[in-house]
Amino acid sequence: MSEHLYTYGVVDDDEFELAIEGVDGGTPIRTVSYRSLTAIVSDIDTLEPERSDENVRRHDDVLREVIESADGRTVVPMQFGMVFKSGRTLKSVLRSGRRAFRKALLDVDGMVELGVKIVVDEGATVDDDTVADIAERLAAAAERDVENDLFSDRLCMNRSYLVAYDDQEAFSEAVQAVRDDYEDLTVQYSGPWAPYNFVDIQIGAAQ
Amino acid sequence: MPSTASPNSSSLADVLDRILDKGIVIDIWARVSVVGIEILTVEARVVAASVDTFLTYASEISKIEQATQTGDLDDIQDLEIETTSARKHEQKIEKTRAGVDAS
Repeated sequence: MSEHLYTYGVVDDDEFELAIEGVDGGTPIRTVSYRSLTAIVSDIDTLEPERSDENVRRHDDVLREVIESADGRTVVPMQFGMVFKSGRTLKSVLRSGRRAFRKALLDVDGMVELGVKIVVDEGATVDDDTVADIAERLAAAAERDVENDLFSDRLCMNRSYLVAYDDQEAFSEAVQAVRDDYEDLTVQYSGPWAPYNFVDIQIGAAQ
Repeated sequence: MPSTASPNSSSLADVLDRILDKGIVIDIWARVSVVGIEILTVEARVVAASVDTFLTYASEISKIEQATQTGDLDDIQDLEIETTSARKHEQKIEKTRAGVDAS
């Protein structure tokens, strides 16, 4: 019997079902609320879901559907693997962490995350002014931005942008303008994502 | 009408980068305990959780399951200590990284 709850994220007061498969095939995707905070969940048998490519994709796909099914529903995403033993423990955490969840929901209200990476050709270089120009132009089309790791020599920029769901078109135009102006650079543009890079909550417990 | 770029369907690397590393992190103890627990800390992360942390959690989960089955509370008490030391270890790594970046 499925008794545990895999959680994907937290939204403002809501109640809905999505007929898609979640982590470990759990379906439907549904909601569990404590007062005005709602967690997105699906049933799961294990406390330790396998970190398979499929499961990781499904976690992300569910969050995307949560956003898109209400044309820009605000969601604060959980990290992969947040399984609660029962509805009771989940509600307990929603209650205890309500201030942090509420603040996070406000911080990203109506927003999604878009990712932009700039990659240089093999053997080519790029000057700092170019990177600064691109970063500045994209930041101007976003509410907030954060820098991510440059994990390769050829990656000269790796940033995440918090953009209003309704302003994605304008941001995409800014990305296209960068592509047009710097044709020798590869611009990798991804999203929309749940705002993973713009939430910062860790909840611990003690006996 | 200005031309517009469309975001690509996301690569698995992009998905992994976010899902395993970012987002709300809730301690295993808070997720499984029904009675007698007090949630003490709700804090912004000082350091981003890493894959190491995930693996630590994963091993904790199996221990919790074991402890739940056998009813051995000593096992559960050990977990807290391990969590704390794992965090310290992680912060140390992060500091080391920061040092490398600064140099």
